[in-house]
Amino acid sequence: MPYEFEEVLSTIKMTEIEHFDIRTVTMGINLKDCSDRNVEVACQKIYDKITRLAGKHVENALKIESQYGIAIANKRVSVTPISLIADSFGEEEFIKIAETLDKAARQIGIDYIAGYSALVQKGATNGELRFLNSIPYALASTAKVCSSVNIGSTKAGINIDAINIMSEKIKQTAELTKDNGSIGCAKLVVFCNAVEDNPFVAGAFHGVSEPEVVINVGISGPGVVLDGIRSAGRVDFRELAEVIKKTVFKITRAGELIGRKVAASNNVEFGIVDISLAPTPAEGDSIADILMAMGVEDVGAPGTTAALAMLNDCVKKAGLMASSCVGGMSGAFIPVSEDQGMIRAVEAGHLSLEKLEAMTAVCSVGLDMIAVPGDTPATTIAGVIADEAAIGVINDKTTAVRIIPVYGKKVGESVDYGGLLGKAPVMPISTLSSANLLLRGGRFPAPMRSLTN
Amino acid sequence: MTISDDLLRDLAIRAAKELGDSATAETIKQYVNKELMARGVMPKEGEQAGGRAILTSFGLNKPGVVSSITGALSTSEIDILDISQKIMQDFFTMIMMIDITNSSKTLKEVQDDLHIVAEKLNIKIYLQHEDVFRFMHRI
Repeated sequence: MPYEFEEVLSTIKMTEIEHFDIRTVTMGINLKDCSDRNVEVACQKIYDKITRLAGKHVENALKIESQYGIAIANKRVSVTPISLIADSFGEEEFIKIAETLDKAARQIGIDYIAGYSALVQKGATNGELRFLNSIPYALASTAKVCSSVNIGSTKAGINIDAINIMSEKIKQTAELTKDNGSIGCAKLVVFCNAVEDNPFVAGAFHGVSEPEVVINVGISGPGVVLDGIRSAGRVDFRELAEVIKKTVFKITRAGELIGRKVAASNNVEFGIVDISLAPTPAEGDSIADILMAMGVEDVGAPGTTAALAMLNDCVKKAGLMASSCVGGMSGAFIPVSEDQGMIRAVEAGHLSLEKLEAMTAVCSVGLDMIAVPGDTPATTIAGVIADEAAIGVINDKTTAVRIIPVYGKKVGESVDYGGLLGKAPVMPISTLSSANLLLRGGRFPAPMRSLTN
Repeated sequence: MTISDDLLRDLAIRAAKELGDSATAETIKQYVNKELMARGVMPKEGEQAGGRAILTSFGLNKPGVVSSITGALSTSEIDILDISQKIMQDFFTMIMMIDITNSSKTLKEVQDDLHIVAEKLNIKIYLQHEDVFRFMHRI
Protein backbone atom coordinates (compact mmCIF):
# COMPACT_ATOMS: atom_id res chain seq x y z
CA MET A 1 0.00 0.00 0.00
CA PRO A 2 1.54 3.35 -1.01
CA TYR A 3 -0.13 5.05 1.96
CA GLU A 4 0.20 4.19 5.61
CA PHE A 5 -2.87 3.00 7.44
CA GLU A 6 -2.69 6.03 9.73
CA GLU A 7 -2.40 8.46 6.85
CA VAL A 8 -5.58 7.23 5.25
CA LEU A 9 -7.42 7.24 8.56
CA SER A 10 -6.21 10.76 9.41
CA THR A 11 -7.74 12.07 6.18
CA ILE A 12 -11.02 10.27 6.84
CA LYS A 13 -11.01 11.63 10.39
CA MET A 14 -10.53 15.18 9.12
CA THR A 15 -13.35 15.03 6.61
CA GLU A 16 -15.81 12.96 8.61
CA ILE A 17 -15.30 13.97 12.23
CA GLU A 18 -13.46 17.27 12.43
CA HIS A 19 -15.72 19.28 10.09
CA PHE A 20 -13.00 19.77 7.53
CA ASP A 21 -14.47 21.32 4.45
CA ILE A 22 -13.60 23.78 1.78
CA ARG A 23 -15.42 26.94 2.82
CA THR A 24 -15.87 28.30 -0.64
CA VAL A 25 -15.05 27.85 -4.27
CA THR A 26 -15.54 31.27 -5.80
CA MET A 27 -15.62 31.96 -9.50
CA GLY A 28 -14.41 35.46 -10.31
CA ILE A 29 -15.98 36.88 -13.46
CA ASN A 30 -14.93 40.02 -15.31
CA LEU A 31 -17.91 42.24 -16.14
CA LYS A 32 -15.96 45.12 -17.70
CA ASP A 33 -17.31 44.19 -21.11
CA CYS A 34 -20.91 44.39 -19.86
CA SER A 35 -21.13 48.16 -19.49
CA ASP A 36 -23.72 49.94 -21.57
CA ARG A 37 -25.47 53.31 -21.54
CA ASN A 38 -28.81 51.59 -21.39
CA VAL A 39 -29.35 49.88 -18.05
CA GLU A 40 -31.62 47.20 -19.51
CA VAL A 41 -28.95 46.21 -22.00
CA ALA A 42 -26.25 46.24 -19.30
CA CYS A 43 -28.38 44.04 -17.05
CA GLN A 44 -29.04 41.58 -19.86
CA LYS A 45 -25.32 41.40 -20.67
CA ILE A 46 -24.48 40.83 -17.01
CA TYR A 47 -27.11 38.15 -16.57
CA ASP A 48 -26.10 36.36 -19.75
CA LYS A 49 -22.42 36.40 -18.94
CA ILE A 50 -22.79 35.12 -15.38
CA THR A 51 -25.21 32.36 -16.27
CA ARG A 52 -23.08 31.34 -19.25
CA LEU A 53 -19.76 31.16 -17.42
CA ALA A 54 -20.96 29.94 -14.03
CA GLY A 55 -23.95 27.93 -15.23
CA LYS A 56 -22.30 24.66 -14.27
CA HIS A 57 -20.26 25.98 -11.35
CA VAL A 58 -22.43 24.34 -8.69
CA GLU A 59 -22.85 21.08 -10.58
CA ASN A 60 -19.10 20.77 -11.18
CA ALA A 61 -18.29 21.58 -7.56
CA LEU A 62 -20.72 18.89 -6.37
CA LYS A 63 -19.02 16.34 -8.61
CA ILE A 64 -15.58 17.19 -7.23
CA GLU A 65 -17.03 17.04 -3.71
CA SER A 66 -18.13 13.45 -4.11
CA GLN A 67 -15.03 12.41 -6.01
CA TYR A 68 -12.69 13.46 -3.22
CA GLY A 69 -15.03 13.08 -0.28
CA ILE A 70 -14.45 16.68 0.82
CA ALA A 71 -17.44 18.95 1.29
CA ILE A 72 -17.49 22.39 -0.32
CA ALA A 73 -19.67 24.49 1.97
CA ASN A 74 -20.39 27.36 -0.41
CA LYS A 75 -20.28 27.90 -4.14
CA ARG A 76 -19.98 31.58 -4.96
CA VAL A 77 -19.38 34.06 -7.72
CA SER A 78 -17.54 37.36 -7.48
CA VAL A 79 -17.73 40.04 -10.15
CA THR A 80 -15.93 43.22 -11.18
CA PRO A 81 -16.86 46.04 -8.76
CA ILE A 82 -20.20 47.21 -10.12
CA SER A 83 -19.38 50.90 -9.57
CA LEU A 84 -16.58 50.55 -12.13
CA ILE A 85 -18.68 49.21 -14.96
CA ALA A 86 -21.61 51.57 -14.50
CA ASP A 87 -20.21 54.93 -13.44
CA SER A 88 -22.75 56.87 -15.49
CA PHE A 89 -25.78 55.29 -13.81
CA GLY A 90 -28.06 56.69 -11.15
CA GLU A 91 -29.11 55.05 -7.89
CA GLU A 92 -32.17 53.31 -9.29
CA GLU A 93 -30.18 51.86 -12.15
CA PHE A 94 -27.57 50.51 -9.76
CA ILE A 95 -30.32 48.80 -7.79
CA LYS A 96 -31.55 47.22 -11.02
CA ILE A 97 -28.09 45.77 -11.52
CA ALA A 98 -28.12 44.38 -7.98
CA GLU A 99 -31.44 42.71 -8.71
CA THR A 100 -29.99 41.25 -11.91
CA LEU A 101 -27.05 39.82 -9.95
CA ASP A 102 -29.50 38.29 -7.48
CA LYS A 103 -31.56 36.79 -10.29
CA ALA A 104 -28.46 35.31 -11.95
CA ALA A 105 -27.29 33.88 -8.61
CA ARG A 106 -30.64 32.17 -8.07
CA GLN A 107 -30.66 30.85 -11.61
CA ILE A 108 -27.29 29.11 -11.25
CA GLY A 109 -27.94 28.00 -7.67
CA ILE A 110 -24.95 29.59 -5.94
CA ASP A 111 -24.95 30.68 -2.30
CA TYR A 112 -23.73 34.26 -2.72
CA ILE A 113 -22.74 36.69 -5.42
CA ALA A 114 -20.31 39.40 -4.39
CA GLY A 115 -18.89 42.46 -6.05
CA TYR A 116 -21.56 45.08 -5.52
CA SER A 117 -18.54 47.12 -4.60
CA ALA A 118 -16.72 50.41 -4.91
CA LEU A 119 -13.09 51.37 -4.41
CA VAL A 120 -13.01 54.89 -2.98
CA GLN A 121 -9.85 54.88 -0.83
CA LYS A 122 -8.58 58.13 -2.31
CA GLY A 123 -11.82 59.75 -3.39
CA ALA A 124 -15.17 59.01 -4.97
CA THR A 125 -16.40 59.89 -8.45
CA ASN A 126 -19.93 61.23 -8.89
CA GLY A 127 -20.98 57.79 -10.09
CA GLU A 128 -19.43 56.16 -7.05
CA LEU A 129 -21.26 58.55 -4.72
CA ARG A 130 -24.55 57.56 -6.34
CA PHE A 131 -23.49 53.93 -6.06
CA LEU A 132 -22.82 54.24 -2.31
CA ASN A 133 -26.30 55.71 -1.88
CA SER A 134 -27.81 52.70 -3.64
CA ILE A 135 -26.22 50.09 -1.35
CA PRO A 136 -28.85 49.98 1.45
CA TYR A 137 -31.69 49.62 -1.09
CA ALA A 138 -29.77 47.05 -3.13
CA LEU A 139 -29.16 44.92 -0.04
CA ALA A 140 -32.74 45.27 1.11
CA SER A 141 -34.17 44.15 -2.22
CA THR A 142 -31.88 41.18 -2.82
CA ALA A 143 -30.97 38.00 -0.90
CA LYS A 144 -27.71 36.75 -2.34
CA VAL A 145 -25.90 39.96 -3.25
CA CYS A 146 -22.96 41.05 -1.09
CA SER A 147 -21.48 44.49 -1.06
CA SER A 148 -18.11 45.90 -0.07
CA VAL A 149 -16.50 49.33 -0.12
CA ASN A 150 -12.79 50.01 0.20
CA ILE A 151 -12.23 53.25 2.11
CA GLY A 152 -8.51 53.19 2.74
CA SER A 153 -5.18 51.80 1.65
CA THR A 154 -1.58 52.10 2.72
CA LYS A 155 -0.76 53.84 -0.57
CA ALA A 156 -3.70 56.25 -0.55
CA GLY A 157 -4.43 56.86 3.12
CA ILE A 158 -7.94 56.86 4.55
CA ASN A 159 -10.94 58.53 2.95
CA ILE A 160 -12.68 59.87 6.06
CA ASP A 161 -15.53 61.31 3.97
CA ALA A 162 -16.23 57.83 2.62
CA ILE A 163 -16.20 56.43 6.16
CA ASN A 164 -18.81 58.98 7.18
CA ILE A 165 -20.97 58.06 4.22
CA MET A 166 -20.60 54.33 4.87
CA SER A 167 -21.45 54.59 8.56
CA GLU A 168 -24.72 56.30 7.54
CA LYS A 169 -25.33 53.61 4.91
CA ILE A 170 -24.77 50.87 7.49
CA LYS A 171 -27.39 52.44 9.76
CA GLN A 172 -29.78 52.83 6.84
CA THR A 173 -29.23 49.20 5.74
CA ALA A 174 -29.97 48.05 9.29
CA GLU A 175 -33.24 49.96 9.24
CA LEU A 176 -34.31 48.84 5.78
CA THR A 177 -33.74 45.17 6.71
CA LYS A 178 -35.05 45.48 10.29
CA ASP A 179 -37.65 42.76 9.74
CA ASN A 180 -34.86 40.23 9.29
CA GLY A 181 -32.61 41.28 12.16
CA SER A 182 -30.88 43.93 10.01
CA ILE A 183 -29.40 41.12 7.91
CA GLY A 184 -28.40 43.56 5.17
CA CYS A 185 -25.46 44.65 7.32
CA ALA A 186 -24.18 41.06 7.40
CA LYS A 187 -23.70 41.36 3.65
CA LEU A 188 -21.93 44.72 3.72
CA VAL A 189 -18.28 45.12 4.57
CA VAL A 190 -16.13 48.23 4.75
CA PHE A 191 -12.51 47.49 3.84
CA CYS A 192 -9.09 48.96 4.16
CA ASN A 193 -6.44 47.50 1.83
CA ALA A 194 -9.04 45.27 0.14
CA VAL A 195 -7.58 42.40 -1.86
CA GLU A 196 -8.61 41.66 -5.42
CA ASP A 197 -8.68 37.87 -5.30
CA ASN A 198 -10.52 37.25 -2.04
CA PRO A 199 -12.92 34.31 -2.34
CA PHE A 200 -14.71 35.05 0.95
CA VAL A 201 -17.93 37.01 1.19
CA ALA A 202 -19.11 39.59 1.96
CA GLY A 203 -15.88 41.19 0.78
CA ALA A 204 -15.19 39.29 -2.44
CA PHE A 205 -14.92 41.09 -5.74
CA HIS A 206 -13.17 40.32 -9.00
CA GLY A 207 -10.37 42.88 -8.99
CA VAL A 208 -9.54 45.09 -11.95
CA SER A 209 -6.20 43.36 -12.52
CA GLU A 210 -7.72 39.87 -12.52
CA PRO A 211 -8.12 37.73 -15.66
CA GLU A 212 -11.40 37.14 -17.49
CA VAL A 213 -12.52 34.23 -15.32
CA VAL A 214 -10.77 32.60 -12.39
CA ILE A 215 -11.46 30.12 -9.60
CA ASN A 216 -10.31 31.05 -6.09
CA VAL A 217 -10.62 28.77 -3.10
CA GLY A 218 -11.08 29.54 0.57
CA ILE A 219 -10.27 26.79 3.02
CA SER A 220 -11.83 26.23 6.40
CA GLY A 221 -10.76 23.72 9.01
CA PRO A 222 -10.49 25.15 12.55
CA GLY A 223 -11.86 21.81 13.80
CA VAL A 224 -8.86 19.97 12.40
CA VAL A 225 -6.37 22.41 13.95
CA LEU A 226 -8.22 22.23 17.25
CA ASP A 227 -7.97 18.46 17.31
CA GLY A 228 -4.26 18.61 16.48
CA ILE A 229 -3.58 21.02 19.34
CA ARG A 230 -5.63 18.95 21.79
CA SER A 231 -3.83 15.74 20.87
CA ALA A 232 -0.44 17.44 21.18
CA GLY A 233 -1.06 18.06 24.88
CA ARG A 234 1.11 20.37 26.97
CA VAL A 235 3.99 21.18 24.63
CA ASP A 236 6.00 24.41 24.45
CA PHE A 237 5.32 27.18 21.91
CA ARG A 238 7.89 25.95 19.44
CA GLU A 239 6.43 22.45 19.39
CA LEU A 240 2.91 23.86 19.24
CA ALA A 241 3.84 25.90 16.18
CA GLU A 242 5.02 22.71 14.48
CA VAL A 243 1.77 20.92 15.26
CA ILE A 244 -0.32 23.75 13.78
CA LYS A 245 1.84 24.00 10.69
CA LYS A 246 1.65 20.29 9.92
CA THR A 247 -2.14 20.31 10.22
CA VAL A 248 -2.62 23.42 8.13
CA PHE A 249 -0.31 22.04 5.47
CA LYS A 250 -2.66 19.10 4.91
CA ILE A 251 -5.75 21.31 4.86
CA THR A 252 -4.22 23.66 2.33
CA ARG A 253 -3.09 20.80 0.11
CA ALA A 254 -6.68 19.62 -0.01
CA GLY A 255 -7.78 23.16 -0.88
CA GLU A 256 -5.21 23.33 -3.65
CA LEU A 257 -6.40 20.02 -5.09
CA ILE A 258 -10.07 20.98 -4.98
CA GLY A 259 -9.34 24.39 -6.51
CA ARG A 260 -7.36 22.93 -9.39
CA LYS A 261 -10.02 20.32 -10.10
CA VAL A 262 -12.97 22.71 -9.95
CA ALA A 263 -11.09 25.13 -12.18
CA ALA A 264 -10.29 22.36 -14.65
CA SER A 265 -13.87 21.12 -14.70
CA ASN A 266 -15.09 24.63 -15.51
CA ASN A 267 -12.26 25.03 -17.98
CA VAL A 268 -11.01 28.23 -16.33
CA GLU A 269 -7.78 29.34 -14.77
CA PHE A 270 -7.07 28.45 -11.14
CA GLY A 271 -6.27 31.57 -9.15
CA ILE A 272 -5.31 31.25 -5.52
CA VAL A 273 -5.93 29.41 -2.29
CA ASP A 274 -6.91 31.76 0.52
CA ILE A 275 -5.38 30.07 3.54
CA SER A 276 -7.70 31.66 6.07
CA LEU A 277 -8.98 29.53 8.91
CA ALA A 278 -12.69 30.26 8.69
CA PRO A 279 -14.91 29.05 11.53
CA THR A 280 -18.50 27.87 11.21
CA PRO A 281 -21.23 27.90 13.85
CA ALA A 282 -20.82 24.10 14.19
CA GLU A 283 -19.60 23.03 17.64
CA GLY A 284 -15.82 22.51 17.59
CA ASP A 285 -15.28 24.38 14.32
CA SER A 286 -14.18 27.44 16.21
CA ILE A 287 -11.16 29.75 16.37
CA ALA A 288 -12.11 30.61 19.95
CA ASP A 289 -11.86 26.94 20.90
CA ILE A 290 -8.39 26.79 19.34
CA LEU A 291 -7.24 29.76 21.43
CA MET A 292 -8.64 28.08 24.54
CA ALA A 293 -6.94 24.80 23.64
CA MET A 294 -3.72 26.78 23.34
CA GLY A 295 -4.19 27.80 26.96
CA VAL A 296 -6.27 30.92 27.64
CA GLU A 297 -9.17 30.40 30.03
CA ASP A 298 -11.49 32.11 27.58
CA VAL A 299 -11.12 34.36 24.56
CA GLY A 300 -10.45 37.85 25.85
CA ALA A 301 -8.02 36.80 28.58
CA PRO A 302 -4.58 38.46 28.48
CA GLY A 303 -2.50 36.36 26.09
CA THR A 304 -5.35 35.94 23.59
CA THR A 305 -3.73 38.28 21.09
CA ALA A 306 -0.39 36.48 21.34
CA ALA A 307 -2.02 33.08 20.87
CA LEU A 308 -3.93 34.34 17.84
CA ALA A 309 -0.79 35.92 16.39
CA MET A 310 1.08 32.64 16.55
CA LEU A 311 -1.84 30.68 15.14
CA ASN A 312 -2.11 33.11 12.26
CA ASP A 313 1.60 33.04 11.55
CA CYS A 314 1.71 29.24 11.52
CA VAL A 315 -1.25 29.12 9.15
CA LYS A 316 0.63 31.35 6.71
CA LYS A 317 3.92 29.49 6.94
CA ALA A 318 2.32 26.11 6.33
CA GLY A 319 -0.12 27.32 3.70
CA LEU A 320 2.57 29.06 1.69
CA MET A 321 4.42 25.81 1.12
CA ALA A 322 1.29 23.79 0.47
CA SER A 323 -0.20 25.87 -2.30
CA SER A 324 1.18 26.90 -5.66
CA CYS A 325 -0.36 30.32 -5.23
CA VAL A 326 -1.53 31.81 -1.96
CA GLY A 327 -3.64 34.95 -1.98
CA GLY A 328 -6.78 36.60 -0.71
CA MET A 329 -6.82 37.46 2.97
CA SER A 330 -4.88 34.45 4.23
CA GLY A 331 -5.12 34.61 7.99
CA ALA A 332 -7.45 33.43 10.73
CA PHE A 333 -10.95 34.91 10.74
CA ILE A 334 -12.58 35.95 13.99
CA PRO A 335 -16.21 36.65 13.10
CA VAL A 336 -18.19 36.71 16.32
CA SER A 337 -21.55 35.38 15.17
CA GLU A 338 -20.08 32.55 13.08
CA ASP A 339 -18.05 31.03 15.91
CA GLN A 340 -19.69 29.28 18.88
CA GLY A 341 -16.72 29.95 21.13
CA MET A 342 -16.70 33.68 20.35
CA ILE A 343 -20.44 33.92 20.99
CA ARG A 344 -19.98 32.17 24.33
CA ALA A 345 -17.12 34.50 25.31
CA VAL A 346 -19.14 37.60 24.41
CA GLU A 347 -22.19 36.37 26.29
CA ALA A 348 -20.06 35.62 29.34
CA GLY A 349 -18.70 39.18 29.21
CA HIS A 350 -15.16 37.94 28.58
CA LEU A 351 -14.67 39.39 25.13
CA SER A 352 -15.08 43.09 24.42
CA LEU A 353 -15.06 45.09 21.23
CA GLU A 354 -11.77 46.64 22.33
CA LYS A 355 -10.08 43.25 22.75
CA LEU A 356 -11.40 42.17 19.38
CA GLU A 357 -9.88 45.30 17.89
CA ALA A 358 -6.50 44.37 19.34
CA MET A 359 -6.87 40.86 17.92
CA THR A 360 -7.56 42.25 14.45
CA ALA A 361 -4.11 43.82 14.47
CA VAL A 362 -2.53 40.37 14.26
CA CYS A 363 -4.91 38.44 12.04
CA SER A 364 -7.25 38.88 9.17
CA VAL A 365 -9.55 40.42 8.76
CA GLY A 366 -11.13 42.84 11.14
CA LEU A 367 -14.18 43.43 13.28
CA ASP A 368 -16.39 40.86 11.66
CA MET A 369 -20.05 40.05 12.22
CA ILE A 370 -20.35 42.18 15.31
CA ALA A 371 -23.80 43.22 16.48
CA VAL A 372 -24.11 46.48 18.40
CA PRO A 373 -27.19 48.27 19.76
CA GLY A 374 -29.49 49.70 17.11
CA ASP A 375 -29.26 53.20 18.54
CA THR A 376 -25.48 53.42 18.13
CA PRO A 377 -24.79 56.80 16.44
CA ALA A 378 -23.40 56.69 12.89
CA THR A 379 -20.42 58.74 14.03
CA THR A 380 -19.51 56.06 16.58
CA ILE A 381 -19.64 53.42 13.85
CA ALA A 382 -17.48 55.75 11.76
CA GLY A 383 -15.01 55.90 14.65
CA VAL A 384 -14.84 52.10 14.79
CA ILE A 385 -14.24 51.93 11.03
CA ALA A 386 -11.56 54.64 11.25
CA ASP A 387 -9.74 52.75 14.02
CA GLU A 388 -9.71 49.55 11.97
CA ALA A 389 -8.62 51.42 8.85
CA ALA A 390 -5.78 52.99 10.84
CA ILE A 391 -4.59 49.54 11.94
CA GLY A 392 -4.71 48.43 8.32
CA VAL A 393 -2.99 51.46 6.82
CA ILE A 394 -0.18 51.66 9.36
CA ASN A 395 0.50 47.90 9.40
CA ASP A 396 0.06 47.48 5.67
CA LYS A 397 -2.57 44.78 6.09
CA THR A 398 -6.17 44.19 5.19
CA THR A 399 -8.69 45.18 7.82
CA ALA A 400 -12.44 45.37 7.57
CA VAL A 401 -15.55 46.17 9.53
CA ARG A 402 -18.77 44.21 9.20
CA ILE A 403 -20.84 45.70 11.99
CA ILE A 404 -24.56 45.28 12.51
CA PRO A 405 -26.36 48.00 14.47
CA VAL A 406 -29.36 45.72 14.97
CA TYR A 407 -32.47 47.83 14.63
CA GLY A 408 -34.44 48.03 17.87
CA LYS A 409 -32.13 45.71 19.83
CA LYS A 410 -30.15 46.43 22.98
CA VAL A 411 -27.10 44.94 24.71
CA GLY A 412 -27.91 41.48 26.04
CA GLU A 413 -30.28 40.62 23.22
CA SER A 414 -29.15 38.65 20.20
CA VAL A 415 -30.09 38.06 16.60
CA ASP A 416 -30.03 34.66 14.91
CA TYR A 417 -29.46 34.49 11.15
CA GLY A 418 -29.05 30.73 10.91
CA GLY A 419 -26.72 28.99 8.46
CA LEU A 420 -23.13 30.11 8.16
CA LEU A 421 -23.92 33.62 9.42
CA GLY A 422 -24.83 32.24 12.83
CA LYS A 423 -26.09 34.09 15.90
CA ALA A 424 -24.85 37.51 16.94
CA PRO A 425 -25.09 38.69 20.55
CA VAL A 426 -25.52 42.48 20.75
CA MET A 427 -22.26 43.79 22.23
CA PRO A 428 -21.73 46.91 24.29
CA ILE A 429 -19.99 49.74 22.46
CA SER A 430 -18.45 52.87 23.98
CA THR A 431 -20.95 55.68 24.44
CA LEU A 432 -18.24 58.34 24.23
CA SER A 433 -18.67 60.52 21.16
CA SER A 434 -16.38 60.37 18.13
CA ALA A 435 -18.41 62.93 16.21
CA ASN A 436 -16.07 65.91 16.44
CA LEU A 437 -13.16 63.87 15.14
CA LEU A 438 -14.89 62.12 12.27
CA LEU A 439 -17.00 65.06 11.13
CA ARG A 440 -13.85 66.99 10.34
CA GLY A 441 -14.03 64.94 7.14
CA GLY A 442 -11.40 64.99 4.42
CA ARG A 443 -8.62 62.54 3.96
CA PHE A 444 -6.13 60.94 6.33
CA PRO A 445 -2.97 61.34 4.22
CA ALA A 446 -0.98 58.29 3.15
CA PRO A 447 1.36 57.19 5.93
CA MET A 448 5.15 56.86 5.98
CA ARG A 449 4.64 53.21 5.09
CA SER A 450 3.49 54.20 1.62
CA LEU A 451 6.81 55.80 0.72
CA THR A 452 8.63 52.62 -0.17
CA ASN A 453 10.08 53.64 -3.52
CA MET B 1 -15.54 0.37 -22.16
CA THR B 2 -11.94 1.19 -22.94
CA ILE B 3 -10.82 2.51 -26.27
CA SER B 4 -7.78 0.79 -27.75
CA ASP B 5 -4.71 2.71 -28.86
CA ASP B 6 -5.17 1.44 -32.39
CA LEU B 7 -8.67 2.82 -32.59
CA LEU B 8 -7.49 6.19 -31.30
CA ARG B 9 -4.66 6.31 -33.84
CA ASP B 10 -7.05 5.35 -36.61
CA LEU B 11 -9.49 8.07 -35.55
CA ALA B 12 -6.75 10.70 -35.37
CA ILE B 13 -5.50 9.92 -38.88
CA ARG B 14 -9.01 10.00 -40.31
CA ALA B 15 -9.83 13.22 -38.51
CA ALA B 16 -6.69 14.81 -39.94
CA LYS B 17 -7.63 13.74 -43.48
CA GLU B 18 -11.25 14.76 -43.16
CA LEU B 19 -10.77 18.14 -41.54
CA GLY B 20 -7.48 19.14 -43.15
CA ASP B 21 -6.15 22.63 -42.39
CA SER B 22 -9.47 23.86 -41.07
CA ALA B 23 -9.24 21.63 -37.97
CA THR B 24 -9.77 23.32 -34.62
CA ALA B 25 -9.89 21.74 -31.18
CA GLU B 26 -13.68 21.96 -31.25
CA THR B 27 -14.16 20.40 -34.70
CA ILE B 28 -11.78 17.54 -33.85
CA LYS B 29 -13.71 16.87 -30.65
CA GLN B 30 -17.00 16.84 -32.55
CA TYR B 31 -15.56 14.52 -35.19
CA VAL B 32 -14.15 12.06 -32.65
CA ASN B 33 -17.35 12.03 -30.61
CA LYS B 34 -19.39 11.35 -33.74
CA GLU B 35 -17.11 8.49 -34.78
CA LEU B 36 -17.13 6.98 -31.31
CA MET B 37 -20.90 7.13 -31.12
CA ALA B 38 -21.09 5.40 -34.50
CA ARG B 39 -19.09 2.58 -32.88
CA GLY B 40 -21.50 2.34 -29.99
CA VAL B 41 -19.40 4.22 -27.46
CA MET B 42 -21.46 6.90 -25.76
CA PRO B 43 -19.28 9.62 -24.27
CA LYS B 44 -20.76 10.32 -20.86
CA GLU B 45 -21.49 13.85 -19.79
CA GLY B 46 -18.83 14.99 -17.33
CA GLU B 47 -17.36 11.52 -17.02
CA GLN B 48 -14.47 11.50 -14.58
CA ALA B 49 -11.20 10.12 -15.76
CA GLY B 50 -10.59 6.75 -14.13
CA GLY B 51 -7.64 6.12 -11.95
CA ARG B 52 -6.94 4.91 -8.49
CA ALA B 53 -9.15 5.44 -5.51
CA ILE B 54 -8.94 4.57 -1.85
CA LEU B 55 -11.78 2.70 -0.24
CA THR B 56 -11.99 2.88 3.52
CA SER B 57 -14.52 0.89 5.46
CA PHE B 58 -15.09 0.33 9.12
CA GLY B 59 -17.71 -0.95 11.49
CA LEU B 60 -18.66 -3.91 13.60
CA ASN B 61 -16.92 -7.04 12.37
CA LYS B 62 -19.14 -9.79 11.00
CA PRO B 63 -18.80 -12.62 8.51
CA GLY B 64 -19.08 -11.62 4.87
CA VAL B 65 -18.05 -7.98 5.14
CA VAL B 66 -15.03 -8.28 2.88
CA SER B 67 -16.80 -10.51 0.38
CA SER B 68 -19.76 -8.15 0.11
CA ILE B 69 -17.46 -5.25 -0.69
CA THR B 70 -15.22 -7.12 -3.08
CA GLY B 71 -18.29 -8.65 -4.68
CA ALA B 72 -19.69 -5.22 -5.43
CA LEU B 73 -16.35 -4.16 -6.86
CA SER B 74 -15.94 -7.22 -9.08
CA THR B 75 -19.36 -6.83 -10.68
CA SER B 76 -18.21 -3.36 -11.76
CA GLU B 77 -14.93 -4.76 -13.15
CA ILE B 78 -12.81 -2.90 -10.65
CA ASP B 79 -9.26 -4.03 -9.93
CA ILE B 80 -8.18 -4.31 -6.32
CA LEU B 81 -4.55 -3.26 -6.13
CA ASP B 82 -3.93 -3.60 -2.43
CA ILE B 83 -5.75 -4.44 0.79
CA SER B 84 -4.83 -3.68 4.35
CA GLN B 85 -6.97 -4.65 7.28
CA LYS B 86 -6.93 -4.33 11.04
CA ILE B 87 -9.30 -5.80 13.57
CA MET B 88 -9.49 -4.32 17.03
CA GLN B 89 -11.81 -6.17 19.37
CA ASP B 90 -15.13 -6.23 17.53
CA PHE B 91 -14.27 -3.50 15.06
CA PHE B 92 -12.65 -3.89 11.71
CA THR B 93 -11.00 -1.25 9.54
CA MET B 94 -10.19 -2.09 5.97
CA ILE B 95 -8.39 0.07 3.45
CA MET B 96 -8.24 -0.88 -0.20
CA MET B 97 -6.56 0.71 -3.13
CA ILE B 98 -8.63 0.11 -6.22
CA ASP B 99 -8.34 0.98 -9.87
CA ILE B 100 -11.49 1.99 -11.71
CA THR B 101 -9.86 2.69 -15.06
CA ASN B 102 -11.24 -0.46 -16.64
CA SER B 103 -14.67 -0.16 -15.10
CA SER B 104 -17.68 0.90 -17.09
CA LYS B 105 -18.81 2.92 -14.09
CA THR B 106 -17.79 6.34 -12.87
CA LEU B 107 -16.49 6.90 -9.37
CA LYS B 108 -19.87 8.36 -8.43
CA GLU B 109 -21.72 5.26 -9.60
CA VAL B 110 -19.34 3.00 -7.67
CA GLN B 111 -19.89 5.17 -4.60
CA ASP B 112 -23.64 4.71 -4.98
CA ASP B 113 -23.23 0.91 -5.28
CA LEU B 114 -21.08 0.82 -2.17
CA HIS B 115 -23.55 2.98 -0.31
CA ILE B 116 -26.13 0.21 -0.72
CA VAL B 117 -23.63 -2.37 0.60
CA ALA B 118 -22.82 -0.14 3.56
CA GLU B 119 -26.50 0.30 4.42
CA LYS B 120 -27.11 -3.42 4.24
CA LEU B 121 -24.18 -4.35 6.48
CA ASN B 122 -24.56 -1.31 8.73
CA ILE B 123 -20.93 -0.28 8.21
CA LYS B 124 -19.26 2.86 6.84
CA ILE B 125 -17.67 2.87 3.42
CA TYR B 126 -15.86 5.87 1.99
CA LEU B 127 -14.51 5.98 -1.53
CA GLN B 128 -12.24 8.87 -2.43
CA HIS B 129 -10.02 9.51 -5.39
CA GLU B 130 -6.38 8.77 -4.61
CA ASP B 131 -5.28 12.35 -5.33
CA VAL B 132 -6.64 13.63 -2.04
CA PHE B 133 -4.30 11.31 -0.12
CA ARG B 134 -1.40 12.00 -2.40
CA PHE B 135 -1.85 15.77 -1.99
CA MET B 136 -2.15 15.60 1.78
CA HIS B 137 0.53 13.06 2.64
CA ARG B 138 3.14 13.23 -0.11
CA ILE B 139 5.18 16.22 -1.20
